[in-house]
Amino acid sequence: MKNQTINLALFLFILHGSIFGQSDKIIARQGKVSFFSYTAVENIEATNNQVISIIDRESGEIAVQMLMRAFVFKKALMEEHFNESYVESDTYPKLTFSGTTNALKGEEFNDAPIFIKGIMDFHGVQKPVEIKTMVKTSTDTFVLEGDFNVNIADFAITVPPLLVPNISKEIQVMFRFEYAPYE
Amino acid sequence: MNNKLSLLTTLALFLFGILGIKAQDLLDIIENETPDIPMYTQATFKGNRVVLTQSVETRKKGTLEFLLGTRYWNVPNNDDSQSFGADRFSGYFGMQYSFSDRFTLGAGVGSVDGNFNSFAKYRLVRQREDKNVPLGITLVQGLSYFTRDFGTFTLPENSSDRLSYISQVIIARKFNKNLSLQFSPSYIRTGTNQPVNDKNDLFLLGFGGRYKLSNHVSLAGEYGYLLGRNEDEEGYNLFGLGVNWEVGDLIMHFSFTNSKSFDDIAIYNFNPNNFHFRPGGLHIGVNATYILHLNKRKPKSLKTREE
Repeated sequence: MKNQTINLALFLFILHGSIFGQSDKIIARQGKVSFFSYTAVENIEATNNQVISIIDRESGEIAVQMLMRAFVFKKALMEEHFNESYVESDTYPKLTFSGTTNALKGEEFNDAPIFIKGIMDFHGVQKPVEIKTMVKTSTDTFVLEGDFNVNIADFAITVPPLLVPNISKEIQVMFRFEYAPYE
Repeated sequence: MNNKLSLLTTLALFLFGILGIKAQDLLDIIENETPDIPMYTQATFKGNRVVLTQSVETRKKGTLEFLLGTRYWNVPNNDDSQSFGADRFSGYFGMQYSFSDRFTLGAGVGSVDGNFNSFAKYRLVRQREDKNVPLGITLVQGLSYFTRDFGTFTLPENSSDRLSYISQVIIARKFNKNLSLQFSPSYIRTGTNQPVNDKNDLFLLGFGGRYKLSNHVSLAGEYGYLLGRNEDEEGYNLFGLGVNWEVGDLIMHFSFTNSKSFDDIAIYNFNPNNFHFRPGGLHIGVNATYILHLNKRKPKSLKTREE
């Protein structure tokens, strides 16, 4: 009987621990990612408002995931071609990034640029990247934002010769995530 | 003994509990947090037509599409032909506008049959990426007005007999990213008893498919089986093979068919020859589709550009 009580107590403790453990995480459910390709022939831009990101403030880990189909283009046909012919979202539906940085550990942050090292998994290619990020904090929000360039050849995205002038080799990517406590 | 066991279990549970939290990948949490938004399968076919027949596909809202079609063929037993390329030529110009993602109206005019046609197309069911909706269904109502004799068609005296109607139910499925198939049972109301004697009501079974060869090139094929037709003297069933090649806003179609026409009804009913690669049976088509977005969406990007 006594044993069972101890067991129960321990079990409750574990449960409590797991609940407590999760409160270290913060989540951005409607993160925003835009990308831009500017060439003399054509300007292409698209935005995804449903990017999800989680930060574990205990370990300094960060993860980001976005669905390729959620990118909205100005032209519907462009969106179809993007999914069908370039990123092949039937086969590779999402882009993920997971990284770590000591700068995200703990409670206090400064509004200063930080560097996040991690692996970007996109279009079947895993590539180590380092992304410079601005941290912005206020009383109730925690925001990460920044921009970086992606070389589309690095992620095995091929452009047919006829369309090479239309699509920039370097795509500019901008992001902004607003985090709230995760429960 | 019993005590030890329960203590061990507790310890194991405890460790697992902690490890479980630690090992739980952040990406797995995200996976659980991802809302279930229905994703409609896109690009079952590359265009509104498989080769010549209507496909299950419609364009997105605010899209104006121009179709410029040409077809070239040789006349059989025409050895002393003076023509440089092909003996005969047929052209078609069509336009269509998508009022919504589901509803499209179109019209066109063809040269070989002097035919004016129009159609309304409604996308009833859209296939979804999740397994809930495995098929797409599109309804098409077409109307054609003939103005001259051509192929096996003789123009009726009475102008009201020159109208024909076609109603199609197109059922399609994109099986994987490369293969799409469609089946379209159709009803044709002809103005005259052509091509089948004493019959104004005709039924047709249409088949179409596409196979993606590469990211920008796909192969398409179609067959239209007209029920109750005596295939020799009353014309032949439609057969078509095509290659679609997309270049940005322009889509090029190259095709081999046994049809001289572009019209939704004439392609099934009035083909004087079966498909073969000799003169008369082979018609080489080169079509260009140009797409204009009249209703551009304005996704708010993170950058407000200074114009």
